[in-house]
Amino acid sequence: MTVLVPLQLSHFQCFLLFALIISLAFGTLGRRQPLERLKYATWSFAMFVVVGIALAWLMYPFSR
Amino acid sequence: MFDNTTVTNTNDDSGDPKIAMHETHRSELHVGNTGTFDVRAVAIAILGWILPGLGHALLKMWGRAVTVCLTVAFLVYLGAGMRGNLFAPGGDDAFARLGYAADLGTGSFYYLARAIEVTGPDVSHADGDYGTRFLATAGVLNLLAALHAYEAARRRKA
Repeated sequence: MTVLVPLQLSHFQCFLLFALIISLAFGTLGRRQPLERLKYATWSFAMFVVVGIALAWLMYPFSR
Repeated sequence: MFDNTTVTNTNDDSGDPKIAMHETHRSELHVGNTGTFDVRAVAIAILGWILPGLGHALLKMWGRAVTVCLTVAFLVYLGAGMRGNLFAPGGDDAFARLGYAADLGTGSFYYLARAIEVTGPDVSHADGDYGTRFLATAGVLNLLAALHAYEAARRRKA
């Protein structure tokens, strides 16, 4: 019961998983047609990843 | 909540009392229906908040209902499994209170997360830190879905 998630995810893997789940939910809630949902989810996922990595690099010089 | 424009036609310029009475009756019916409709929409939103996906299921939006339920459940499962911080009521600062509000957005799944996370949070690693975000995101996403169900029930959004 103590370890319900057997995977030991890295920071980046957690980030990708988070982006994927939220993008799928956004796509389903935000659009009606399956193709539109897929496009919106893909776009949302790409934006999560690109903006997340860009912010990470922007913060990198101040991390230590 | 009520449409005020519906009660403006009671003074009919034609002077025919039958037409005026008919307009008044129709306006009252319209106001009554709008009120019932709003109560139904609010009830759907509350039910959707308590059990994620139920609001959309009541509107027969099956795809969205399943997606909302699975997404919120998966996020809560991952967040609690990663030992994220599940905020308790009566926090010391604004962040703790906001975190509690976000966590409470998962509705009944908040208690599921409490049941899963028996060993308490551990935010000293990336897993635990992300777990806190997963739990908060699950709550905010469920609130967004409940609002979407409310709007769909009012026929403002599909």
